[in-house]
Amino acid sequence: MFWQQVVNGLTLGSTYALIALGYTLIFGVLGIVNMAHGEVFMFGAFVGLLLVTTFQLNIFVAILGAMIVGCLLGVILEQAALRPLRRRSVSHLAPLISTIGVSIFLESLALRIFGPQAQAFPASVAGQLLSIGPLKISSVQILILAVSFGLMLILRFWLQKTRIGKSLRATAENIETANLLGVNTNKIIVMTVALASGLGAVAGVLVGLAFNAVEPTMGVTMGFKGLAVLIMGGLGNVTGAMFGGIILGIAEVFSVAYGSSSYRDAVAFGIIIIILLWRPQGLFGAQKGGH
Amino acid sequence: MDFILNPYYLQIVMFMAINAVLGISIYLTLSTGQLSLGNAGFMSIGAYVSALLTIKAGAPILVSVLCGGVAAGCMALLIGLPVIRLQGIYLAIATLGFGEVVRVIVLNLKITNGALGISGIPSMAVIFGKQLSEVGLSSGMGGLTLQQIANLLVLLVLIAVVAVLVFFCIRVHNSRVGRALAAIKADEKAAEVMGIDVTYYKILMFCLGAVVAAIAGGLAAHLTFYIGPKDFAYHRAVEILLFAVLGGSDVVWGPLLGAFLLTALPEVLRFAAEYREMIYGAILVVMMAFRPQGLLSTQTLRYIKEKLGRSRVNDTSTQPG
Amino acid sequence: MISFTQGRFVKMRWMAAVLLVLSMVVMAGCGGNSASTNKQSANTAKIGVPAYLSGAGAAYGEAIRQGLELAQSEINAKGKIKIELIFEDTKGQKNEAINAVNKLINKDNVVAIIGPTLSGEMFAAGPIASQAGVVIMGTSTTAEGITEVGDYVFRNALPESLAIPNTVKKATAKYNLKKVAVMYSNNNDWAVSGYKTFMQSLKQNGVEVLTVETFADKDTDFSAQLTKIASLNPDAVMVSSLYQEASLILKKARELGIKVPFVGNNGFNSPQLMKIAGAAAEGAIVSSPWYPGKDDAKVQAFIKAYQAKYNKAPDQFAAQSYDALYIMVNALEKAGSTTDRKKLRDNLAQIKGFQGVTGKFAFDEKRNPAMEATVLIVKNGQFTELK
Repeated sequence: MFWQQVVNGLTLGSTYALIALGYTLIFGVLGIVNMAHGEVFMFGAFVGLLLVTTFQLNIFVAILGAMIVGCLLGVILEQAALRPLRRRSVSHLAPLISTIGVSIFLESLALRIFGPQAQAFPASVAGQLLSIGPLKISSVQILILAVSFGLMLILRFWLQKTRIGKSLRATAENIETANLLGVNTNKIIVMTVALASGLGAVAGVLVGLAFNAVEPTMGVTMGFKGLAVLIMGGLGNVTGAMFGGIILGIAEVFSVAYGSSSYRDAVAFGIIIIILLWRPQGLFGAQKGGH
Repeated sequence: MDFILNPYYLQIVMFMAINAVLGISIYLTLSTGQLSLGNAGFMSIGAYVSALLTIKAGAPILVSVLCGGVAAGCMALLIGLPVIRLQGIYLAIATLGFGEVVRVIVLNLKITNGALGISGIPSMAVIFGKQLSEVGLSSGMGGLTLQQIANLLVLLVLIAVVAVLVFFCIRVHNSRVGRALAAIKADEKAAEVMGIDVTYYKILMFCLGAVVAAIAGGLAAHLTFYIGPKDFAYHRAVEILLFAVLGGSDVVWGPLLGAFLLTALPEVLRFAAEYREMIYGAILVVMMAFRPQGLLSTQTLRYIKEKLGRSRVNDTSTQPG
Repeated sequence: MISFTQGRFVKMRWMAAVLLVLSMVVMAGCGGNSASTNKQSANTAKIGVPAYLSGAGAAYGEAIRQGLELAQSEINAKGKIKIELIFEDTKGQKNEAINAVNKLINKDNVVAIIGPTLSGEMFAAGPIASQAGVVIMGTSTTAEGITEVGDYVFRNALPESLAIPNTVKKATAKYNLKKVAVMYSNNNDWAVSGYKTFMQSLKQNGVEVLTVETFADKDTDFSAQLTKIASLNPDAVMVSSLYQEASLILKKARELGIKVPFVGNNGFNSPQLMKIAGAAAEGAIVSSPWYPGKDDAKVQAFIKAYQAKYNKAPDQFAAQSYDALYIMVNALEKAGSTTDRKKLRDNLAQIKGFQGVTGKFAFDEKRNPAMEATVLIVKNGQFTELK
């Protein structure tokens, strides 16, 4: 049972990590917690589902489609809720509220369009169950694990080595200086939000596949966990998001397996509080602490 | 008068008052620049403690509500000491986590009756009604029925609580403490250099905010007949924050206005039932785009005063902003 | 110059905010007007329906609304009494339910209320309606003690305290259960109430409980709990939750190789269970007054009409709300008035021998339904009677 629970924890954790990556990217560049990320994630899941069921498309095409819609949503989000706030000096609470507004809007929009019921992917795309010795793991879960690790590595490489990545980091460091240095910061910011939202949408499809349920409120529940991971790992830290997600996943699973399942959510948040007290900047955050 | 006697509107006004108290609670914590999302958790402590005290121990409402406040204050002190050194978004999430932990504990305790919540809490209106009929007013007075009088009394109590809190906040704002708080909000390090005991004031305001939130919780519990853990979950924490952010957190009138508007808004948008949430979300976005500092700020208050001042003959104190 | 333009900016923004607020106030005025211009003829009964129409549980509110609207169109077509339904969204929240009920009673002047959806909402809104002397009837509020909150509180939902012991008894006898695992959603008042009833009746039947695992509404990952349960080898698993979590549990359980029967509470009682869980739903057991396979003309006609109107099969929420409106109309006819709230209450309490799609129906002295439940099991993707 122990190893099966480890597998359960890893798969749950990797979905958390996948969502947290999107939060992290946006926070890293803009210093904003994008509360609407969970809803973009949910929209992506629905788009993927629609493409597979109504349009009978291949699941990989569907993932691509979800990614494109996610990017578009990201651009709209940036234009509507973030850009107007950036032009002025505002308190750091304003973007928080404005993205909460977007999240409420998107959730009720999804409720209108897709209906409140949970929907599932057809069994043919949901992937089979693999048995490795006594362990059972579904192929989608392996895919999720691979995708989130892959994305983490790609993102790290991209941020460190490429030109765009460098301008992105420059923007993250100081928008005004980056502007002076000839970086088109507006473009970079739009790109970051679009990229993060695209990633969120892909995560939505994958999580929808793994747990076989896509519904309008999934954004809130999963988004909440993503937020927790964001804090745990250290704001704006890609590696932190990855490991934070896995730690949270394993902690939750083990609190059920060896403790009492009714305290699961408290255990998860308890860990976050403890980590924050021990390292106020998060597990992988820079030494400075706080923001 | 008809308007205020209609139980529907009366109830909304009562919820407005409760939310105004909650708005003040977040205003207090925000006055040192701390973003706490734990006020929903403190509110639930206040609600449960006071409801249990009235039901199980038969305590009078006033006593039980105050006990709820004290309990939440102690709790705030306990978690405030370690948590207060966290800053910005970390503090927000840690306090949100605290709220979640409180919720999970409430779900698991026997005395709080888990997810089933506590029903049959004696409401203030009912108790006032009983007391009134004891003094011989059971048939009402001045064309009002007993229930109407009782409801109006409840409203008066709530308004009195809000008024006392607003008075308190204004007094603090204009005092030495208020200037210390403003200094901390503007720049913590500079304030410390100036000899202000930053940690002391931060914890003080954190605890005060918790106490006020708990009082709101206690009052709310005795306004409705039932409380359950669902009432104090994440959405409530965000809602409380919205009061301050929409109304503005610089002056105490801001969260008050925010609480009024956000309580009225869902009711106003009832005719658009299915699109209500969508409109609600859109308004938040538009609001932030046009007035990110909230509806009321120090400038707007000054502006309004100026306008009022100009209409008076003798006032020459207007100055260009 | 600069300060001048800045000043104008501030002013403009301020004006925009004022406009926003003003437009809200205007909208409020419009809302008020449109409601007050409503006229009604003498034989039209206004019934308020506070329901969970948006948010996590909107699926239930939707089914309730559809059941009611179907019954409404049938009743209005007959023409004896016309029904006007006024829906209000409660979002599944207590305060919203209170506001909705207050509005329906004091602004819309409804004669009776059908709803709200959740037991927790009823605990808060029931006393208010009762105090105002307005009948409030829950169609889905199955928790313990609902009708005790006021004399005007009714329900036509079969309380779990009747349904679950029935199921447990039958399942224990049929499968010779010795040791079982129990799962429930611990942040859902109704599911917790169901869980308590499960524990009681398991004790009465002398069944050992190996472990109790909890989860939360809207959870999607149950692998940790089920892995633990699988290692304990129970004879059956009792689940108290809504259908969405129930179907995901079934699916995961079958994946992990748990092949034993799953005994559920009322949440299992939905065609969605088979739709989401597919083959994994085989062997799920529930008892319900609503049984779509029933050889009854009324039931089959209802299913057909519902299917035609909404292009899906009705679930128990739709069936119970459909019955609820008919019961209400029945009482209205007996009361001979479409506005007298007190008369309606007294006549409603007297309802006996009503034949609805959920079977024969009567109110007991505590305004709870007295009705019979059939124990059902999923076989070949269909609910069939467990014999």
